[in-house]
Amino acid sequence: MNAAWLPLTALATSLLVAVTIFALPEEARRLRTTINIGAAVVKIILVTLMVRRVAAGHEDIFSFQVIGGLDFVLRIDALGVMFAGLSSLLWLGTTIYAIGYLEGSANRKRFFGFFSLCVASTIGIALADNLFTFLIFYEMLTLSTYPLVVHRGTEQALNAGRVYLRYTLSAGVVLLLGAVLLNNLTGDQSFSSEEGLGDYLNDHRGLLTLIFILLVSGLAVKAAMVPLHGWLPRAMVAPAPVSALLHAVAVVKAGAFGILRVVYDLYGIELSVELGVITGLAVAASITIIYGSLRAIAQQELKPLLAFSTVSQVSYVILGIGIFGPFGTVGALAHLLHQGLMKVTLFFCAGNYAEELGIHRIDEMDGAGKRMPLTSIAFTIGALGMIGLPPVAGFITKWYLGVGAIQAEMYWVVAVLVASSTLNAMYFLPILHRLWFRPGPSHGKGNWPHEQRLGRLETHGWLLWPMVFTALISLGAGLFAGLPYSPLDWAARVASGEYLP
Amino acid sequence: MITLLLALALLWPFGVMGHAVWLAYRAPEAQRDYFSVLWLSAAWPALLLAYVGEAQWTMDAWMLGGEWELNSLSRPWLAFTALLWSLAAVHARGYFAAEQAQAQRGDQDAQRRLLRLALLWPLTLLGNVLLIIAQDIASFYLGFAVMTFAAYALVVHTGTQEARLGAKAYLILAVLGEGLILGGFLWSAGAADTLMLQGVRESIVSAEHGAWMAALLCLGFGVKAGVIGLHVWLPLAHPAAPAPASAVLSGVMIKAGLLGWISVLPLGHAQVSGALAQFGHWMLVAGLAAAFAAAVYGVFQRHPKAVLAYSSISQMGMMTALVAMGLVAPDVWPLLWPGLVLFAAHHALAKGSLFMGTSISEHLPRWPQPLVWALLALPGISLAGAIGAGMVSKWGVKAPLYEMHHESLIKLLSWAAVGTAALVSAALWRQWQQRHQGGSNREQWGAWLVAVIAALLTPLWLPLPAGSIEMPPLKEWLGIMWPFPVGVLFAAVGWLLTRPLTGKTLPAGDLWGFYAFVIGAVLVPIRAFGHCCGQLKSVSVVTAQKAEKTLMGHLTRLLSGESWLRHHTSGLMMMLAVLLAALLMWEGQR
Repeated sequence: MNAAWLPLTALATSLLVAVTIFALPEEARRLRTTINIGAAVVKIILVTLMVRRVAAGHEDIFSFQVIGGLDFVLRIDALGVMFAGLSSLLWLGTTIYAIGYLEGSANRKRFFGFFSLCVASTIGIALADNLFTFLIFYEMLTLSTYPLVVHRGTEQALNAGRVYLRYTLSAGVVLLLGAVLLNNLTGDQSFSSEEGLGDYLNDHRGLLTLIFILLVSGLAVKAAMVPLHGWLPRAMVAPAPVSALLHAVAVVKAGAFGILRVVYDLYGIELSVELGVITGLAVAASITIIYGSLRAIAQQELKPLLAFSTVSQVSYVILGIGIFGPFGTVGALAHLLHQGLMKVTLFFCAGNYAEELGIHRIDEMDGAGKRMPLTSIAFTIGALGMIGLPPVAGFITKWYLGVGAIQAEMYWVVAVLVASSTLNAMYFLPILHRLWFRPGPSHGKGNWPHEQRLGRLETHGWLLWPMVFTALISLGAGLFAGLPYSPLDWAARVASGEYLP
Repeated sequence: MITLLLALALLWPFGVMGHAVWLAYRAPEAQRDYFSVLWLSAAWPALLLAYVGEAQWTMDAWMLGGEWELNSLSRPWLAFTALLWSLAAVHARGYFAAEQAQAQRGDQDAQRRLLRLALLWPLTLLGNVLLIIAQDIASFYLGFAVMTFAAYALVVHTGTQEARLGAKAYLILAVLGEGLILGGFLWSAGAADTLMLQGVRESIVSAEHGAWMAALLCLGFGVKAGVIGLHVWLPLAHPAAPAPASAVLSGVMIKAGLLGWISVLPLGHAQVSGALAQFGHWMLVAGLAAAFAAAVYGVFQRHPKAVLAYSSISQMGMMTALVAMGLVAPDVWPLLWPGLVLFAAHHALAKGSLFMGTSISEHLPRWPQPLVWALLALPGISLAGAIGAGMVSKWGVKAPLYEMHHESLIKLLSWAAVGTAALVSAALWRQWQQRHQGGSNREQWGAWLVAVIAALLTPLWLPLPAGSIEMPPLKEWLGIMWPFPVGVLFAAVGWLLTRPLTGKTLPAGDLWGFYAFVIGAVLVPIRAFGHCCGQLKSVSVVTAQKAEKTLMGHLTRLLSGESWLRHHTSGLMMMLAVLLAALLMWEGQR
């Protein structure tokens, strides 16, 4: 039985919310909040339904023809559900957080409207079944995130927005070129077709490689791979929930997810290996990982540090794609979720420090552990996960990537992983030391930059609980990775689909 | 039942931590007892667990698949570990009594320090317990990491300059070690597609590059175990840490490195390859080198705890050599390992009581002085092998080596024991020089006394396999005991010879300064390179911006050209028409 309504409803929930919010007046705060949270909960229910349908072996497709030879297709498959699940789960978290964060500030209608639009695009990206559909939502994502990045409207924000558009729009053009070339060569190519592009290998080897490079370099801009990462650290001027969304789910992940789709579903892993592009991906990812970590060490402010950490961490996903074998794939897929959970936690924490205490710089964080214990514990969990220490989820992915690299006989990848862990420790451990071991304003030494008492607890409840929730999930995803439906379990399910037809 | 006890052993420390948090937020300042009976009991369930019996647990949901076991190796290990943790906790209650009083009077700094210690002490213990029972890689690595990073709080406790340096050295080397361990685990487990420590051992035997895997893991664990070259944190961290923290650090935490080796190396495996045996030889040499070099360097230290730290390095060197025997001469291992475990357990308790003793000599109780100093010396004498459990444990490793005809190693180990004797006498001498009267309380000397007795009687309470350890026969006693007087003599002669040099001592943490210098020197060109890259980048950005500006300028000019065209449209059109007409006419005339 084909439940065509399911992908469509999942997409429509956020789209309708966006429309409704734009229609509501700016002052209708309570109604807007209700709609936002209600839709997020409905979305989670829908995704749960999708998970169950995929686990039961159904494939639900919704499609209509746009023009001859070009179809708009949404399809629910294991990989797409994974990304949809991540985005819907974190959408709930970030929405709640954003409501608390933007309390009392201007232009909330615009913010939440585009916020919903942005999430709708990620759901579209997750469920798109061909390159054409994918492109539509991919560009929609670019445009819907721009108002979020420049939300504050300051000179710096506008500049960052300009840089962001320059990078992403030119990348969009490159991507479009690749898609057009591919469409010329093969016609409409579904992500779900079994044979991939293997038939074209003998006659069009060069062209296939060119298209691959075009597609991946177009996607790599959003995935912030060196040297195309320049927009990401600048986009830090956005409000904390936007940064969280950008880094954990929406933009950066959309790029990585696109590369996953291109390699596994469009080209097929055998063809990619045959073309020799896989190793290139692994090398580029390794360079990004090391470079991002090195730059992060030099940062003085918290959010740019987290941004460079994202540059480094997202490339773990790409590295996993570059490692041929089921373990590498499992690592890549699991990290798509794990990195999202951990990074969203870290950004929530950074936002809480900034809101409650006015902390932006790392050297202002001395002794913050006493003043904001829950936030600091969540930050510690996130940071340890980024380093790859057990029991946080980051360890699980590092393990799978390393084992996969050994089995693919790419020993240098293990060296990269170890070096990256050490570098991560070099920039996260000093922060943890500051948080817990240095006396600061809460011990009567100096003052916080800009302290507010936002709530009865250490900060506003709307800011606190989403962070606690994501921190617990990051911890649980590592500690109980062996449970069914854990990120690791689902990643293994997807990977076995790729390698065992 | 035993499963319930296991759950209790692992969850109890969390309960203790929860209580500490509750105390910090709810209890009034003057009634905060950071070291309550509940806090002291953190290690008790684990201690009980060690004596209940053997058991095995498998949990699929746990991380990558959990497998925990209480077997003939992990039971005695857990027993001495939990015992020392319990005793050190009691000692800590006495040791920190003054600081606690300060905190209760409202000193914010003392409150902060004590809360931190009260929270992270049980966490460190938890990591230590977990790594002992773990048989799968993930749990083991988890326990090891938790213990390593939580112990930072124990080292840095006082917050002085020395403590921060010691803690920094500890942490830097720990991170390095964690990286090496991760690399080694990934390599060996990836090659054999395994998640268990058993699989790692098999992988190292069968893999082509087994010796390199073993080297990575050995160096990684060697950071903790104080292998020569990676030992520099020990003499820096120990003098700075509080006495009970030093006791557990030197007593049981560095033993985690030893347990790591035993867990991952294919000791006693019949098909050890040539390369692996070669690696075993290197390990043997490194162990013996550490045993002797640490003794020679350590006797010149001024701080008694620095001397004891060097003694730990020396002792761990001996244990390294014994572990290496499992690779060099696999057939000796089945006989040797109970002796090694006894050696480790005895060293744990003896070194623990020696470190606790340093706090006793700083606050001497009002007992007859000869009695106090005799008691302070006892664990040292035992460590050198002259009395009690030390003698039994020496025999426990000597007997199998005799049996397999490794006389030269026995001779070397005996001479290393001379070094031990010299070190403990130097430590005692330093304690004597820096003694203070009064101030030690019941918990402080009580825990210390129990530790001394437990150290002397180690073979009686350690749950080793029956019959694996026996008393040395009477005729061997002289062969075991001689290093002690010789060592004391050496120390005395050395002291006499170096008397003219008083006032000049060798710095603790020998190679640390050298490492810092090398890294500093290496960083200079890297920084310069980074600076160059930064400049290159800014130059190229400026160039690109300039190029863009020029391009945009041309475009703008083009656009203004367009408006010029628009402005003169009619005239231009007219001219075009005239031109066309002229062309037509010219064409018509031909």
